[in-house]
Amino acid sequence: MTAQITQSPRIGKVRGDSPRRSRRSEAPLERLHRRTFWPFAAPALLFYIVLFIAPIAFAAYTSFYKWDGLSPMKDRGLNNYRILWLDPVFHTALTNTLKILIVGGVVTFAIALALTMVLREMNHRLFARSVLFFPTLVNAMVFGIAAGFLFSPSGPVDEVLHALGWQTPPQWLSTENIFPMVMGTLIWTSTGFYTAIIMAGVDQIPQYLYEAAELDGCNAWQRFRNVTLPMAWEVISVCAVLWTVSSVNIFQLILVFGGSNSNLPPANSWNTALYVYGEAFPQASAPELGLATAAAMVALLLVAVITVLLRRLMRRERIEY
Amino acid sequence: MSIAIPSRGRRSRRRRTGPAVRIGTWLVWLFVAVDIGLLVWTFTSSLRGNNDIMNHPFGVPNSPKFGNYGKAVSDGGFGRAALNSVFTAVASSALVIALAAPCAYVLARRRTRTSSFLSMMFVLGLGVPLQVLVIPLFIGLSKVNLTDSLYGLILVYIGLAMPFTVYLLTGFFAGVPAVLEEAAVLDGAGPVRTFLSVIVPVARGGIITAFLLQIISAWNETLFALVLLHSQDKITLPVALVNFLSTEQYDGQDWGVLFAGVCIILAPMLALFSWLGSRIIQGMTVGIGK
Repeated sequence: MTAQITQSPRIGKVRGDSPRRSRRSEAPLERLHRRTFWPFAAPALLFYIVLFIAPIAFAAYTSFYKWDGLSPMKDRGLNNYRILWLDPVFHTALTNTLKILIVGGVVTFAIALALTMVLREMNHRLFARSVLFFPTLVNAMVFGIAAGFLFSPSGPVDEVLHALGWQTPPQWLSTENIFPMVMGTLIWTSTGFYTAIIMAGVDQIPQYLYEAAELDGCNAWQRFRNVTLPMAWEVISVCAVLWTVSSVNIFQLILVFGGSNSNLPPANSWNTALYVYGEAFPQASAPELGLATAAAMVALLLVAVITVLLRRLMRRERIEY
Repeated sequence: MSIAIPSRGRRSRRRRTGPAVRIGTWLVWLFVAVDIGLLVWTFTSSLRGNNDIMNHPFGVPNSPKFGNYGKAVSDGGFGRAALNSVFTAVASSALVIALAAPCAYVLARRRTRTSSFLSMMFVLGLGVPLQVLVIPLFIGLSKVNLTDSLYGLILVYIGLAMPFTVYLLTGFFAGVPAVLEEAAVLDGAGPVRTFLSVIVPVARGGIITAFLLQIISAWNETLFALVLLHSQDKITLPVALVNFLSTEQYDGQDWGVLFAGVCIILAPMLALFSWLGSRIIQGMTVGIGK
């Protein structure tokens, strides 16, 4: 996607002029752009460097030290990473992050594609899309709180299940079930967003392709498989990258899930974000900022590796239409 | 609701529908109905007493208890928090647009190696998990006494929003035809004038969209607000909600008041979405999928 952004303005502007332009012969507009470049770009760049790039560098630096934020930093070399490697809590956190990323991602995209397929041929599709999209704008804590009430022991959901004849519904909010519940809630609420993006891509597909497919006797599934999927592939691969980044950022949903919060949620429902938060701002013990930033760096590395992998795996020839 | 009304225009476009598609359609409507149901249920619950909710979770409020909102505002601190949230969201969004728009404009127009390198740098920022930034920013802001301050939080939000806003606006500015500027420049307008009175009005739609998206994400941001703010008069809504949840653990749950708090966070987003829904969806889908 990056290549496109930087190139698209370029294409329109390679008019007649020669590749080697001397400054004297440049157009007034060209000169304007050259002169304004730094004055216009610098303020944003300054904020970006101070508030974004420098903190990343500082996090990378801190990850090699033992530090509680007050006393002087002690050099620890790679030991923070070694501690993480051996820490069962971090293992769970990393596994959970990967589970959200991969299992949650596959399920969300399967549902989103199925919804796209159905919505394409449906009446009032824009209304349905809007309703499904709305959870994107809602703070994830709201879902955690609602689920905490609906699934509470002998709460509304249990009551409905009793009425339907299921006498012993599972303990929805027991320690070992919190994480699956988080996944379920997450999938439920994020499907609409990806459905909307994929639909926007699908809407660009020219109608005649579908008409041709129909004339050839394709059913809905074949139309999806042979027209929609290949034509929307680029959008889907962008979505996959988006999901990778946003799934690693999930925080408050896990924090408040089940409505319990004066303490952190049980460690087996943590992801790396919760781990970083728990190590850096613990309720009882001293902060372990070095360890926390090391965990954050692992999360950054994870996103980088998976993004590169996804771009490689999902690369296809661009289809022109 | 308008679901039951068959639309005439689309009928002709509908094809032979197989059973799978028909079942799928029903499932979609079920999905939609549950979403709407949950929303309605949250609003009605915020107007009911605690015992009432516990005994009949799906009942209707027989006499709406607006007192829940009063309690949330006074005991839970949601009133002050709502003001803080509005201030933080509006200020950070306005500032980030003011900073990012000129930058995105020159990045979209100039095609040198520096320019593409900078664009790339902003795009790479999109992939950085927030947990990487939270500790360094906390340390940095406490060094300059900006923790527990809304100004510190606004600064943080400006930084966090920079990559996405620059990325989104670069796309919008690239779509503005250069002919317009050419005319302005030939008429002797300076760079600032050209930008403000020619480019910005044409790209207004994109700028408003970027502003809206930033308002939404600042309104819902929780991690940094939770880490940076403590005092009762400085917190934003998500922090107020988290704090309220933990006090409830000691005082016993009052679900009515809790749902009133939830609605205070939810309602502005719902209002914004009903007003500018298609613009928001377009910004988040077309802008991203580009």
